[in-house]
Amino acid sequence: MSEVMAVSALAAEADAVFRARHEPESMVALRSRALARYEELPVPQYEKSDISRRNLTAFATHSDERASAGTTQDWQTIAGPYLDENGAGVLLVFADGKLVSERGIGALPDGIVVEALLDAVGKRSALVEKLHTVVPFDEDKLLALHAGLWRDGVYVSIPRGVTFETPIQIVHVVTRGGAGSFIHNLYEAGEGSSATILETYLAAPDLADHLHVGVTEAFIGQGARIKVGVVSDLPRRMTSVVVRRALVGRDAAMDWIVGEVGDGYTVSEIGSRLVGQGSTSTCHAVVLGSGRAHADLTARMVHEAKFSESDTTARGVMQGHAFGVYRGITHILKGASGSNGQQAEKLLMMSPESRADAIPMLLIDENDVKCGHAASVGQINEEQLFYLMSRGISEAAAKKMVVWGFLDPVLAQLPVDSVRGAVERVLERKMK
Amino acid sequence: MSMIPELKISGLRASVEGKEILKGVDLTVRGGEVHAIMGPNGTGKSTLASSLMGHPKYDVTAGQVTLNGEDVLAMGVDERARAGLFLAMQYPSEVSGVSNANFMRMAKNARLGEGNEVPVLKFHRELLQKMKALSIDPTFGERYLNEGFSGGEKKRNEILQMTMLEPSIAILDEIDSGLDIDALRIVAEGVNTLRKPEFGLLIITHYQRLLQYIDPDYVHVMMQGKIVRSGGRELAEKLEQNGYDWLKDELGIVDETVEAGV
Repeated sequence: MSEVMAVSALAAEADAVFRARHEPESMVALRSRALARYEELPVPQYEKSDISRRNLTAFATHSDERASAGTTQDWQTIAGPYLDENGAGVLLVFADGKLVSERGIGALPDGIVVEALLDAVGKRSALVEKLHTVVPFDEDKLLALHAGLWRDGVYVSIPRGVTFETPIQIVHVVTRGGAGSFIHNLYEAGEGSSATILETYLAAPDLADHLHVGVTEAFIGQGARIKVGVVSDLPRRMTSVVVRRALVGRDAAMDWIVGEVGDGYTVSEIGSRLVGQGSTSTCHAVVLGSGRAHADLTARMVHEAKFSESDTTARGVMQGHAFGVYRGITHILKGASGSNGQQAEKLLMMSPESRADAIPMLLIDENDVKCGHAASVGQINEEQLFYLMSRGISEAAAKKMVVWGFLDPVLAQLPVDSVRGAVERVLERKMK
Repeated sequence: MSMIPELKISGLRASVEGKEILKGVDLTVRGGEVHAIMGPNGTGKSTLASSLMGHPKYDVTAGQVTLNGEDVLAMGVDERARAGLFLAMQYPSEVSGVSNANFMRMAKNARLGEGNEVPVLKFHRELLQKMKALSIDPTFGERYLNEGFSGGEKKRNEILQMTMLEPSIAILDEIDSGLDIDALRIVAEGVNTLRKPEFGLLIITHYQRLLQYIDPDYVHVMMQGKIVRSGGRELAEKLEQNGYDWLKDELGIVDETVEAGV
């Protein structure tokens, strides 16, 4: 069971850290407000995921504290397979919160900003007013904790009318467990802009208990087209709770792509609030659970404006003792007439001990809309296996082929070739 | 390698979900021979085909099957294929994510064994040539395995796989169903090109139509889960002209289906 650090001690400790960092007053005030709520707010409750059984105090107010002795791998070893050495485009690698490698920042076109969010807030205190407006910190205890303690994460701003197609890749690696990670990303896409961002989360396989609470907030301006990919490969003792949400403006398009391949305990929500008329959002997710992985993923699309469209697709494969939960939530609010929300989720259980649940939810408060869902949970198709094997292909290879075919429609969406390649290699390695 | 292959089936019994379908089948197919198994629906023909290939739904409860003296029933499905057995299926599965060409190359290499893999270019040249012979559009190589193929396209793709894999004994399970006459002719020509002493063929069909294009050496009739009559080409012709009733009368069978034999 998790114990909760006394709020006064936590707040005082944190306050000293932030003041020492010379954060803007408004930032320090936001953190204090959040931490003041930390104790009273409930631990988030998820059907099928009892997070209170995880170690929720595996963090420190300052990243240098409480970090356990080093793990056996350095960040290069962990991140290597996910980095494209010869690739173009922006690449930032953070190891335990410190920038350890960067590429392409100097060559960014005028006006595009890619920098640590803490630095961005220091330079532009007006950004503080945007923080936690898309993902409010008072939704639950962990978000309040996050708002109080976040220190890592990136600010990306694409100015109006700018198209920047080379992916902006941000990699976070944890090599020392125990300190906790609080990663906050803030993305702003100006009117008519276009860009692709890829977040990658990695950690040492033998990491000690470690809490990660992450938030990504995205503001997608009128007519902008933004893709955000998220790849996460987290180890067994990591508990990761993440909310990623975009506010999508008029005629804008927001595409989320998720690849979860770790064996940790992850609870993540991803999706969009479609607040502009004619806005669209998609979410493509692939989850491979191995070992004792617990992968809980919610794709949430909230239609607030007329003629908004959403489409979510998920493919999950659970092997070993892994447990996968996928919730597709399509919520059409009153007034969002002419909207269309579609979801399709398919989960595959590869072993008798694995479990998977697909929970589609359509919440419709408007009459004139289209909505659809298709959900399935099952075992590998025996006829397909027989067919492939009847041509001389071994059972193991045939299973892989069937699983590849199952995942392919989503894998093909991953925005960076090298990352897709890396995810495919991880899948290849982890598939039994 | 000019060994004459031999598939020997003796006393084969098989059940599905505890219900016996095959009730003692005896049959030997040798290289250079074409055998046709005919019979009305529900007599166990497709069960025989699937059991020989090792479909997990069918339990073999008695009997023996050997290929060149080796115990087929002790082999896994993939081992049977690598040993030289091939089944062209009545309802081929669709598998997305793997291209038809890549799948066939993997299958071919599995059959040839490690160290004997066919060079990629050579494989593709051969594939294109054989696709052309079967009037299969070259773009089908890059499409996902059987995905979105029409019934006829799937059947042609089965024959393409057979010609690429060069099995020693092939079983065609109702390859003619759903084919129009032109497609049937093309498929039959594809099959006929394989006829040689190193290749034996077992055709399962309930129409004599296919046998006008693939000339069988032996014709067998299956009823109630057994082969009840064997003969030459003339047996198929007689069945085509007179149906099965005369045979049922001769054998004293009222209901030819497996159910009736229980």
